[in-house]
Amino acid sequence: MKRPRLAVAGLTACSGCQLTLLNCEEELPEILRSFELVYFPMAESGNDPQALFDAAIVEGAVSTPGDLATLFRLRHASRLLVAFGTCALFGGVAAMNNAWSGREELMRGVYGEGERFESFPPSRFSNFVSVDFSITGCPPEKPELIALLAALLAGTLPPTSSYPVCTECRSRENLCLLLERNELCLGPIIQAGCNARCPATGIVCEGCRGPVREANVAQELELLLERGFTREEIERRMSRFTPEWDYGQRH
Amino acid sequence: MGSVIEINPFTRVEGHGSVKLYLDGTRVERVELCLTESPRLFESLLVGRSYAEIPEIICRICSLCSTIHKVTALLAVEKAFGVEVSQVTSLSRELIATGGLLQSHSLHLYCLLLPDLLGLRGVAELALAAPEQLKGGLAVKRAGNLIQETVGGRLIHPVNVTLGGLGHRVGRDALLQLRDELEAVLPVCREAFRLFSGSPPLPQLHLPYCLALDPAAPPLSGDRFRMTGGGSFPVEAYRDCLTESVLPYSHAKYARILGREPTVGALARLNLGTSLGPGPGGAFETVKEEIVARDIRGNNVAQAVELFQAAERSLALIDQLIAIGRDGAGNVKVAARNGRGTAACEAPRGTLIHSYAFDDAGICTEADVITPTSLNQGALSRDLLELARGMEGGDASQTGNALERLIRCYDPCISCSVHVVKL
Repeated sequence: MKRPRLAVAGLTACSGCQLTLLNCEEELPEILRSFELVYFPMAESGNDPQALFDAAIVEGAVSTPGDLATLFRLRHASRLLVAFGTCALFGGVAAMNNAWSGREELMRGVYGEGERFESFPPSRFSNFVSVDFSITGCPPEKPELIALLAALLAGTLPPTSSYPVCTECRSRENLCLLLERNELCLGPIIQAGCNARCPATGIVCEGCRGPVREANVAQELELLLERGFTREEIERRMSRFTPEWDYGQRH
Repeated sequence: MGSVIEINPFTRVEGHGSVKLYLDGTRVERVELCLTESPRLFESLLVGRSYAEIPEIICRICSLCSTIHKVTALLAVEKAFGVEVSQVTSLSRELIATGGLLQSHSLHLYCLLLPDLLGLRGVAELALAAPEQLKGGLAVKRAGNLIQETVGGRLIHPVNVTLGGLGHRVGRDALLQLRDELEAVLPVCREAFRLFSGSPPLPQLHLPYCLALDPAAPPLSGDRFRMTGGGSFPVEAYRDCLTESVLPYSHAKYARILGREPTVGALARLNLGTSLGPGPGGAFETVKEEIVARDIRGNNVAQAVELFQAAERSLALIDQLIAIGRDGAGNVKVAARNGRGTAACEAPRGTLIHSYAFDDAGICTEADVITPTSLNQGALSRDLLELARGMEGGDASQTGNALERLIRCYDPCISCSVHVVKL
């Protein structure tokens, strides 16, 4: 059988999603045998920039003209484009202040006055190109990546699910940090799939996997306001990984 | 006539970068090291956020180094508020930091660098040509990652290490399992230095001005810096000793310490005696003699030595945590106050500094992060120029390969490097 040809790349990001692939220590030798890693600069030299792919698995937000050029090139060169991780899907941490401060102001804060390179507010892929499949998470969960690779080998894509972190948290019988400890937990509106990792260690859900489809955002907002958190505090926390929320959304 | 040789992008390193070599005929005029990772402007993003959010956000600077970024941020915030944590917390943080070092070094050595030693393109060819060596390296990486996942609750961007303590304490069974995993990879770690001790095929380079923390206290942190030649200064005074400039062609800043381009990382630690523990002994002692006197070409073997030291240190920490049992735990309450906190740790790639200022309500008013790769950038540029000049008139692709090889000696982390704040 012909091995599927893969591109693995990153835009504005921490390389954590690509690292998640390299962190599959058990499965890595088999992955490397089953796929042709045609373009993977993080782990391969001699990458052919003109190559075509069956799937491009790309992490990061889009924040520079260079990012955009890479994204367009990979979209054109690949049959499937996978948005890999929260930055690619929602903008991620780099986008957290998009609503409050201009890019210029942020740049000045880091690099001072003077000559600068071009950069714009970090954005999700879907603002620029069509995306065929998504894996969320900061970082993504290994089993979701493995499921994608297995499906690609079978010539298909994995099924998707859509339920909030609370569902997994309840089934693990964790203490509810939101209701019982009055902490600012985003579990009710965040996409599950992490098996409620953070609440299971006693830490609130910080929302790293982005909004669950049909999230009852307005209800969560009301609940948190009722519990004494300020609107500003709540919005800042919610925007940590996803800058764009519809705070009036009800389902 | 002028011409330019460009290596773009760097491969088998973390992050995005390129090098431009400006030639006048065959003579190398200058070298531009461009760390072109898209900037995420973390220091600006943190201003206005609560102290409690800082460690959770800042660890996202980098995936490979997320653990040590988190730990350093925790220490800096706690310093600002005068918080002292329990022994269990401190030991757990050191354990997760050594786990981070194991995973980072093993990834670099076995997945990214080993292909150079065997004349291969990358990790995919490695899986076919040297499956056993790759498997050995991946086992070490897995053990390092298991430490991070067990103590941190997650593999990348750990959640369980928090301000004032731990989300939950790691239980005895989990610690025993970690011990088994580490003991199983100890033989690979002990022999690692042999695999990486051959000198890369590069000419002699500038001897480094090493910079490291004075013998690191748990968790791989310290209060003073030391530099080759006897220079020493307290961590809090880092701003007085450091000068930085923005380069028009790079997104990272160029740092000098006490007027020199410092070299940080495994080689610097070995040179200055900032050791995680005793080395593998025996044959290693001869190798050590050689690399202590060597330029940056000795860095990868120094990393290999640290694999063993980190594995041994992790085992000792696990035993200590098991011996403490249920005592000595407890989280400390953190109360915000006006102030500044600065902390430094030895990250896998070298010295990492975090510094934050807060107002009365604990809202961040200033954030500054100085990463190992931004500290190393000056020395790397200097060595690239020296290497390129040494190869003048040669074949362009050979020069390109040698420059990339040199870059991998430094093991740069470019995601980290582009986050340096104004002074």
